[in-house]
Formats: sequence, C-alpha cells, structure tokens
Amino acid sequence: MFQITIKETKEFLRDRINLFFFIMFPVVLVFLLGSLLKSMDKAEEAVGEIKLHYLVTTENPVNIMTIEGFIQSIGDNQNLIFEQTENLEASKQLAGNNEITAVIEFTGNPFSINIYEGSNQIANRTVAAIMNGFKQSNKSISAVMKTLPETLQDIDQTERSEFILQKDLGVNRTMMDYYAVAMLAMISFMSALVGAGAFVGERQNKTINRLIAAPKNRISLFLQKVFGMIPQVIIQLSVLMLISVFVFKAHYAATLLVNLYLFFMFFMVTLCMISVGAVIGIFIKVNPSAVIMPVLWIMMFLGGTYSKEMYIKGLTDKMPSFQIQQAAFDLAIFERFDKANTVIITCIIIMSIALAIGAFLFSRKEEER
Amino acid sequence: MSQYVIVNNLVKKYGDLCAVDNLSISVNQGEIFGLLGPNGAGKSTTLSVLTTLSDFDKGEITIGAHNIRKDKMKIKQLIGMVPQDIAVYEHLTALENVKFFAALYGMRGNKLNASAKEALEFVGLSDRQNMKPKQMSGGMKRRLNIACGIAHAPKLIIMDEPTVGVDAQSREHILNSIKLLRDRGATVIYTSHYMQEVEEICDRIAIIDHGRLVACGTKAELVSLITDAQSVYIETKIPAAFDLDEYKKKQKLMPGVKAVAIEENTIRIDVSIDQNNITRLIEQFLSLNLPIINIKTEVPNLDTMFLTLTGHELR
Repeated sequence: MFQITIKETKEFLRDRINLFFFIMFPVVLVFLLGSLLKSMDKAEEAVGEIKLHYLVTTENPVNIMTIEGFIQSIGDNQNLIFEQTENLEASKQLAGNNEITAVIEFTGNPFSINIYEGSNQIANRTVAAIMNGFKQSNKSISAVMKTLPETLQDIDQTERSEFILQKDLGVNRTMMDYYAVAMLAMISFMSALVGAGAFVGERQNKTINRLIAAPKNRISLFLQKVFGMIPQVIIQLSVLMLISVFVFKAHYAATLLVNLYLFFMFFMVTLCMISVGAVIGIFIKVNPSAVIMPVLWIMMFLGGTYSKEMYIKGLTDKMPSFQIQQAAFDLAIFERFDKANTVIITCIIIMSIALAIGAFLFSRKEEER
Repeated sequence: MSQYVIVNNLVKKYGDLCAVDNLSISVNQGEIFGLLGPNGAGKSTTLSVLTTLSDFDKGEITIGAHNIRKDKMKIKQLIGMVPQDIAVYEHLTALENVKFFAALYGMRGNKLNASAKEALEFVGLSDRQNMKPKQMSGGMKRRLNIACGIAHAPKLIIMDEPTVGVDAQSREHILNSIKLLRDRGATVIYTSHYMQEVEEICDRIAIIDHGRLVACGTKAELVSLITDAQSVYIETKIPAAFDLDEYKKKQKLMPGVKAVAIEENTIRIDVSIDQNNITRLIEQFLSLNLPIINIKTEVPNLDTMFLTLTGHELR
C-alpha cells in the first residue's frame, strides 16, 4: 500500500498537466470568477411574505398619525402584512418561532423603534430597510431605531436555512466565497479523471501487465491504487482552501471545526469520484478526458458551479454538483450539517458500489496488448 | 538437468480462434530457451499464460514444481517479466521504477535498495539511476525495462523481444546480460525475431506455428531436421579444356559428398555435416593444379531452417 501510495503521489506531483488542472486551474478560477463577477453579489433572493406585528405605545398624536400613515401607505403590498398587537411578549414568541417575521414596537418619549427579529436573515434585512425608509421619509420626527436580537436566541437552528439557496451567500459574503466553494466542488468532480487516468495510464504504458503479474491479490491491488490517491486528494483540496482563504481572503465557515467538516465532505466526494473514475478507467480504452470531461462540465454548468445565476427549475437542483454546493453553503454559512451528512453517506454508498465493481473487473482482467 | 517449466497440452482460445493448440514444451533449469514463431503463431499468448497474465482453457503447466492453477501466487513470485513494450513510469526515476516493481515482490528496506541498484548496475545504468525514462535513449529504456524485471532475483525470467529497436552496443550488452543471468542460475525463456540473437544465446529452441509446436531442440538438432549437409564453395579459374563431368564423377565418389555443382568459376560441393572431410576435398582439388581464389563453407542457418519449417508466405 505504502509503495503504491508513494508512486501515485510522485506521479501526480511530477505531472505538469495534473498540477495545472487540479491545483493551478481551480485557484485561478476562484480568483478570476470571484473578481470579475463580484458585481453579481447582490441580495436578490425571493424573500417571500413578510408578516409584521406592531405595537404603538407612544402617546404623541403626531407620531401616531405618522406611524399609521406609513403603515397604510405600504400595507397595499401583497407580501407585506402589518398587524397590530396588544401583547408584546406573545408577538415576540411568534417571531421566535418564525410564525411572523418580526415585532416592531413604537415607543414614546423619546420616540424609538424597537425591532424584535425572527431568524430569517434575508427577511430581517428587508424589515430593517423598510424601517430605515420610514425614518428617512419622516424627517419631522426623531426616532431611535434599534434591532433587538433576543428572539433569535431560543429558536431552532434547523429553521434558519429556510430561505438559503445557492443564490444567497448570506450576510457579508462575496463572490470569492461562492467560487471558493464552487471550485472545491469542481475539483472534486474532476477527480473522476484522476481515477480513470490512473488505470488508463497503466494500460497505455503497459505497466498494468507488470502489476497484475506481481504476486499481489488483484482486489487488494485495485484498492491500493484507488486509496493510494488519498494524499493527492488532500493536497489538491488543501491548496485550494488555503490559497482561497489566505491569499484571496475568501470565507468558508466561521470555525475551524466546521471548516474541517467541510474539507471532509469534499474529501469524501473526491474519493467517491476517483472510485467511479477508476471503474470507468478499467472499461474505456480511449483518453478518459474525452469521455468524462463533457459529462462533468455539462453537469457542473447546469448545477451552477460556474455561475450562481444558472438555475433551471427542475433541472439544476437535480444536478449532483448543485446538491453538493448547497450542502457546502449550508455548512459554511449556517453551520448546518444535515445536507453535508447526506452527501457524505451518499458518497460512501456510491464509493462502496464502485469499488466492488472495480475490484471485480480488475480481478478478472487479462493481459493488455 | 531438471525440467523447470513443463507445459502439457496447453490450449488457449479467444472465441473461435485457437491461439495455442495442444502445445507441449519443457524448459530445463538454468538454460536459455528460445521461443520462435512467425507473427500470430501463439508465442505471446504462451508467454502471457506462463506469466499468469492470461488464463487458459486446457492443459497443465508446472513451474518450479508448482502447478499454475493451484499455486499461482508462488509461481508469480518465481517469475520476472520483461515485456516487449517498455513498461516503466515516465515520471519516476530509473531507481524509483526498479524499486517500485521489486517492492511488488515483497522486497523492503535496505535489501530493496541494494537489489534495485544492483539490477541497474547489471544493465549498465548505475550512473543513470536518477534519470527519468523520458530523458533516456531507446537502448537505455530497454535496459531499464530489463532491470525492472530482474531486480527481485527471479528464478524464471520471461523475455519477450527485449532488444527491439536498440543499437548494436545495447544489444550486445543485453545479450551478454542474459547469458550472465543464465550463468547465475536463472532459467530464461526468450523470444525474438532476430534469428542471429537466438542462435547466439539460446541453448534450446522451440518453433511454434498456428499455436502448435513445429520443432524443438538445439540449433544443430533443428537444422538437421531440414538438411544434414553443408556446402563448400571453391572459387577458381577453370581452363577451357578442363573436363567438368569427369571431375564431378570423382567428387561424388568421395565419402559424404552428396552433390556437386559448377557455375562459371565456382564449384559447390554439398557434403554431409557428419563427415568432416573438407580437408580431403581441398587436397584433391589442389591435385588438379587449379588455383584457389576463395573458399568458404556454409551451414544452413536458423533463418533458413525457420523459413523451411514455417513457410515463406507473409503473415
């Protein structure tokens, strides 16, 4: 195992084409796409319905008239519903449960606006924008506006991602962050080429005959070759993540632990793709790039790897690349593990099937002429 | 001399095509055994089966007292393979290549390092051990290909045309190396299209065609299958008055002489290989007071024998 691992790693690191495609190219793409497409970094998500409770405790008639006039003027919007409440605590509870977006309390002396937010950050940003608009359009009144996040503390974390789709990078995120994740997905999928190439290469230069003539169990040999690529997987993912963070100032997750889990998820995806590629490599006799690349690129294109604007309903969300990117964003932005766990388990299942098929085919392989 | 490789009634089919058809051969321990045959004769298939790269349909193979079906792993351990194609990794150095393949046979640590270096030295590449194959000449690659097959000190070395496309110096080095391997106790099965090479290094030769054994034996034994005569050519200056018919009659009366032919100033006398009477032929010729301008003898070579046994048609 050790000898094959060393051999595979040396071959990977000494092959300029590999170094370009699996290390340089993704890094350059993160930089180029992240820089050139940064103007697309806008909050443009479908916010959905915003339901607000409001409570007026000020007794100043001018302020009351201003508040009611404002609510009437924007209340015609179908997606924006204002309901007056008499019970602040009950409404805060509703916001905490995400049954309403937020509670707005207008207090008097001095006049101030307290916003008790729910957990939907996109909707919260919208509410903040609306109330800023209220302040700007009513210069005659002086209001202190503050956001009180206390309702956020008790909410169920799993509810928070309801609005999170690939298009939303969350607060303070850039396109660099998007492509730092998307390119991880890209090199993971492209690793199918490495897996296929490992076997096609052995066959093309006939070294496969020496391998299968050696006194080694064929199944063990196949598995050693596949798992011998683990160091290169670690190298290619690590280089991309480290350069993205330390050179391009991209963000993945906030904590080291979650970043390690993100790394582990992509590691499993890469290993899974290498295993699938290895099976293909045993089958095909042509250059693996000609067979695998078009399929991967179409899948990644439709899955939004190269642009977050790429979304075809019913198609994009079925692409494995989209699903994996979603899991990665979910993990990195909201520290939510369930989609990542699904990806990891799926990869383990696919990898096990691929390895079983590959080992079977390799054990029956005859001399290459 | 004990038999190290015994092949009995080997049959290997690819679909309807019978590539090897009831082939039976045996290779003695410590000999260089040549396997000859035209393209498509079944040589490579036979080697493929012997190296355990291909399964076979019928027959029995024993290598080093191990049955190939029962003790495949033990047999693999005994064999060193030098394929016709240069099978090395382009991105590894010569030493790394040799070490990698030797490690597949269980060598480790200092022993691995020493064996790899010894193999490179054996093929004359010790000063190129850090060179990658893409930087090497064709001859060097061929020698590296051999080093990769012998570093684990195999008892049986199977070489499939190891000298294809190399220069005269490399060829000589390779052939000497093979003889040295034999002298060190290894058994070698060798195929080549260069008859001169086979004549030079092989102790015994098997000729196969259409998957069947056509002939097997030492070079002399094979040649005797097609003829038992050698030709003596005497170039002279024959005067016009010389009685050619009388001369022919006299020559034919000599023991061992099978035929006499005269063409312009050259006389060809076919004599039995067993009857070494060339000296008497020359003495008799000199008694005619004719000058000898040139004299040469010709024994049928492996080429002639091969073409006679396998035919002249293109394959």
